[in-house]
Amino acid sequence: MTHIPTIAEAAALLAARKISPVELASQCLDRVAALNDTLHAFITVTAERAMDDAKAAEARLMAGTPRGRLDGIPIAHKDIYATRGIATTAHSKLLKGWVPTEDATTVRMLAEAGTVMLGKLATHEFAFGGPSFDLPWPPARNPWNPDHFTSGSSSGTGAAVAAGMILGGTGSDTGGSIRGPASLCGIAGLKPTYGLCPRTGILPLAFSLDHAGPMAWTVEDCALLLQHMAGFDPADPGSADRPVPDFTAQLGQDIKGKRIGVVRHWHETDAKVSPAVQKGIDGALAIWKDQGAEIVEVVLPSLFEYQAANFVIITTEGYSLHEPWMRTRFNDYGELLRDRMVMGALMSSSDYVQALRRRAELCALTAAATKGVDILVTAGAPAEAPRIDSVPKWANLQNPGFTNPFNITGWPAMCVCSGYGEGGMPVAIQIAAKPFQEPLLLQVAHAFEQAAGLRNRRPELATVPPQIGKTLADAGLTLPASDMAGLGAVVEELRAGAAALRGPRSYANEPAATFQLPAGT
Amino acid sequence: MAKTSLEDFKALVRRAGLALTPEQIDEIYVGWGHVEPMFERIRSYGRDRAAEPAHVFRPDFFTQDAAKEG
Repeated sequence: MTHIPTIAEAAALLAARKISPVELASQCLDRVAALNDTLHAFITVTAERAMDDAKAAEARLMAGTPRGRLDGIPIAHKDIYATRGIATTAHSKLLKGWVPTEDATTVRMLAEAGTVMLGKLATHEFAFGGPSFDLPWPPARNPWNPDHFTSGSSSGTGAAVAAGMILGGTGSDTGGSIRGPASLCGIAGLKPTYGLCPRTGILPLAFSLDHAGPMAWTVEDCALLLQHMAGFDPADPGSADRPVPDFTAQLGQDIKGKRIGVVRHWHETDAKVSPAVQKGIDGALAIWKDQGAEIVEVVLPSLFEYQAANFVIITTEGYSLHEPWMRTRFNDYGELLRDRMVMGALMSSSDYVQALRRRAELCALTAAATKGVDILVTAGAPAEAPRIDSVPKWANLQNPGFTNPFNITGWPAMCVCSGYGEGGMPVAIQIAAKPFQEPLLLQVAHAFEQAAGLRNRRPELATVPPQIGKTLADAGLTLPASDMAGLGAVVEELRAGAAALRGPRSYANEPAATFQLPAGT
Repeated sequence: MAKTSLEDFKALVRRAGLALTPEQIDEIYVGWGHVEPMFERIRSYGRDRAAEPAHVFRPDFFTQDAAKEG
């Protein structure tokens, strides 16, 4: 079994010089080479750039001048984040070949922190339409079972982090696009408060609902990434001009006395969740209660109310961006994007403004119902990942999302793995806090994650030593995921067996089989 | 099933300037049936006539550079 370090673990290993940034980047690139044909998490792999970044990080570490805990950490960006000199496609035919001349602000900030950039990650088309099979690149697959959906739209980031191709990455979230893939891929994903992380240079879906945020294996890793994504950006009209706190400062502190509100009717009535999801929520509440938190029940507007406002705002704002192409190149979009987004063309100006007025009411109702409550808890997704070929076109209209309320309110929210369903796929809880209370949100989520002890299990295909996976890929062998997982389980035994066969023997010892000419020749 | 008739729906598509095939119109019409109930949710709350939307206009955003330059 290969252990894939968290960002925090890798930072400690790098600081102790037990691994070099070049070695770490090479391991991740080998895993990309081995698994990307199966998972399609990457659209563009920037191996050369990654090695340049890694060598620069190595030089800083050797000189004793590291830039911090992200120096030398391999990451990648959702392919709606503009990257200078590197194609940025939004996973769409319409942007194929577009090479930005500037980095998104958050891309620049993470690069300045010393991260090693491995490439650009699959997304639902323009962060909205997916999973689509009619785009220039296939949709990302779930590492826990590649026949299953990752959720989206930050689908490539979810898959790549879970499979250990990268230690962390960026996502964006307009209705749940960070928290959905985090839930179904069994990782941690944080949608920060609206305005905390600059949106400049990230292709917009809906201006007033778009959030940039981190995705990683653990809550702590999300905190480490967020530290270098948050900050005021005068070029972003929604950016919050306020000091950036230390997001790791409260990790590990006890949560005694915190008031945790469970929005039971959301996941038990409005959109009833699977037994595994319910078990995860109940388990989390029991853990926090044991840790001294007070659990209270909170009643909020129905999920359908938030969904209605969210969908009308997304499609009207989104359509306004896409209108020129929608009118002239409709069929160059994938079917899911165009059929969903076109709804915005058919709504009236009054519909949009009514949605904004409803948004104000929902914000006020949410605030009023949560006075005295520090944290809210509900589901991350209704169940474990469905098969990727069974996702209905109108799924996001037929069922309200658990994530929409925190896009409408702008409150920070994150999804964290809370167990596994009957099919062995992960499920998640969603934890939310009041605006700009990320340190508290991370503290409570971390307290759960540490107690739950679910971070030692990776998807089986990710446990194949990356060099072996790469060797297979180089040989043109694309094994089914189940075979790759089997390899991961036996490869150490095979290595031990092979080592034993090499054992000490005389230089001239003959093998058991010898060449012999047939009699009579 | 959408409350809007298919003929009225086609008129909405034409007004938007979209050139869709009959098959595309039929497909999107199914989705419209899911969207219509959302309009009832955002409209019908007997809200105060003066209730403001969630978004506000900030004129100082556009003058911040000038303010910095003095």
